[in-house]
Amino acid sequence: MAQIEIQNLCKSFKDNAILKGVSLSVDKGEIVTLFGPSGTGKTVLLRLLAGIYAPDAGAIGLRGRDASGSPPEKRGIGMAFQNFALFPHMTARDNIASGLTARTTDAGVIARKVDAVAHLLKISHVLDHSPRELSNGQKQRTALARALVADPDILLLDDPLRNVDAKLRYEMRLELPTLLKRAGSTVLYVTQDFKEAMALGDRIAVLLDGEIAQCDTPARIYAEPANVGVARLFGDPTLNLIEVEPRLIDGAPEILVGGARIRLSASYAAAAGGTYLLGLRPESLRLVDGPAPGTIAVDVVAVTPLNEKSVLLLTMEGSREVLASEAGDRDEPRLTGPAHIAFDMDTVLLFDRASGQRFIPADDGGGES
Amino acid sequence: MSASLSIRGVDKIYHPRGRSAVHAVKALNLDVDRGEIVALLGSSGCGKTSTLRMVAGFEDVSAGSIMLADRRVERLAPAERNVAMAFEGYSLYPPLTVRDNIAFALKRGRLSGSEVAERVREMAALVEIESILDRYPNSISGGQQQRASLARALVRDADLYVLDEPMGQLEPQLRAVLRGRLKRLLKDRAMTSIFVTHDQTEANALADRIAVMEGGVLQQFANQHDLKERPANLYVATFIGEPPMNVFDASVVRHDDRTVFQLDNGPSLGFGDNEFGPEARQAIGDRRKIVIGVRPHRVVLGGGCGETARVVSNQWLGDQSHVAMAVAGKLMVAVSHERVRATIGESVPFGLRARDLHIFDADTTIALAHGARAA
Repeated sequence: MAQIEIQNLCKSFKDNAILKGVSLSVDKGEIVTLFGPSGTGKTVLLRLLAGIYAPDAGAIGLRGRDASGSPPEKRGIGMAFQNFALFPHMTARDNIASGLTARTTDAGVIARKVDAVAHLLKISHVLDHSPRELSNGQKQRTALARALVADPDILLLDDPLRNVDAKLRYEMRLELPTLLKRAGSTVLYVTQDFKEAMALGDRIAVLLDGEIAQCDTPARIYAEPANVGVARLFGDPTLNLIEVEPRLIDGAPEILVGGARIRLSASYAAAAGGTYLLGLRPESLRLVDGPAPGTIAVDVVAVTPLNEKSVLLLTMEGSREVLASEAGDRDEPRLTGPAHIAFDMDTVLLFDRASGQRFIPADDGGGES
Repeated sequence: MSASLSIRGVDKIYHPRGRSAVHAVKALNLDVDRGEIVALLGSSGCGKTSTLRMVAGFEDVSAGSIMLADRRVERLAPAERNVAMAFEGYSLYPPLTVRDNIAFALKRGRLSGSEVAERVREMAALVEIESILDRYPNSISGGQQQRASLARALVRDADLYVLDEPMGQLEPQLRAVLRGRLKRLLKDRAMTSIFVTHDQTEANALADRIAVMEGGVLQQFANQHDLKERPANLYVATFIGEPPMNVFDASVVRHDDRTVFQLDNGPSLGFGDNEFGPEARQAIGDRRKIVIGVRPHRVVLGGGCGETARVVSNQWLGDQSHVAMAVAGKLMVAVSHERVRATIGESVPFGLRARDLHIFDADTTIALAHGARAA
């Protein structure tokens, strides 16, 4: 059952249309990450759900009931927002407990719950500090703890790890889903970090230009993005985009990439005659022995290691730059100079030049979920 | 190869009014070879920026010497050091266009007008600011100002290029390509460079060698391969690498021809003497307590491995799986470039190979052995 049901929600500020008809439903116990570049209205959407803003049009259903008219305090939603909103005169412990005191007065129960959530969020050692003695990352986790401590059935989290340092942020990324699942909450989680969106979400709702461009599992969004805008938001480094015009040669679709003729599978036949952007993820490009059919001549301009992979800056015919990434450890460093690349056909993405929509190959029935 | 920049016994002590002195940089020795790219890497307050400012001449040294291109420079003003800088707080001249800002760096040279124009065009193309060359600094974005100031530093000939977080504010989409171009330029023209960053991705991508600093002390100065494979101490081991190295407190026990690491509150990992050889055993000596580390990319998942652990999370990021398992009361992370199919709560087999282990002294945190070799 949908615990959050948003239908055709619109919101403008003055003449600036932020949300232009957003529809989204989140099932009970599901974590949906709301992801998109800054300024696309993610926070506005959360505030509409919380009742802080009123929508211009559209409906909000919570737990199967229309909530559009009800005030924030009647919506029964737990929240942690970017600006912390901690009580300055209270310790971190009392701030967290303030999420509970409306429900229970048993001091023992409160202390136990506060300690448990503080332990999970690694702020046990600062519980007796006041907000001004906390770092931004600690403030953020205190606000998150306050939202979590009451086990709310609906939880709205606005980029709660944003100010947390990288190492802790990574640990929290691993542990947060378990924490949220254990509480059984239905969660809408805003983030600007694609890795966080993929790691935390059962599904990702991608908000672009005031609309949900795609809402699907992380794996599907990465492998089968709805359009070029969505594709560009995922991946590090981001995918390469190359203009191509598929043609039928002897009945088989072919494209010209970096001066090389590359045969596509027959399922792309319907793309012939159109103009497209070929999307190639850096990790799907491989350096291979060449020249050979299906390989592209390149010049390796620079090798820049990135964690356990190396990113290669390559130029193809016409000085066109592309990025490739290689996983794993090489015993000898990759050298710059002439080389050849190839890519796997099942990683090919084609986007319509005019609309940006992904071309769906003929035999693409659904793929993996 | 002779050192182009040589920092010898340099200290920096600040005396803030009304507060106790801060020893920001302690007895620093660092040599940068001609044409080499060096990154100063560390968290905030580690002393990296103080070091860079002393090299550039924005700060005095409290003790020690700085040699640059065979000249003592630590008492010289910034302009007398023949150093090109892209610095926070060393901003573009507001009354000049971006083009004139970049060209200004060349004015004292003996280049003709067309040569100046060509050099400006080349650098503007490299950092992708051709379209804003006729704009004024206050009308462009912070990211564009940063690129313009980078171009202004790179366009001139200098003994040393000093760069402060050179890619800090750039859009992620642009960063990967710019890093590649910048590295190629610096290497092609053998431009000796030193830059500060808190981002190890940037340090790894650009630098030939990385100086890891913490608490004002140089922890290790090595290329990125050695920082990963042969970290000098536990600080470097857990600071370098994303995700960070898995570390466990453990006791060492010898059984006949086997070395057994008993993880505190966890499983024991045994290795035959053929795997965990004499050199590493000797390095450990008769220590009982050690810290054992293994990088997430080296944890082996799947059948045939010795131990099992419960999966706490399994996250697919499009090109890699991050699997966290409960081991010895903490999380052990395994990273695989293949998609791992394991559900939360499931027990999965894992194994650690002797050659992937890092062993540290439990008290001093100094590295004892890496794989089968002594540190």
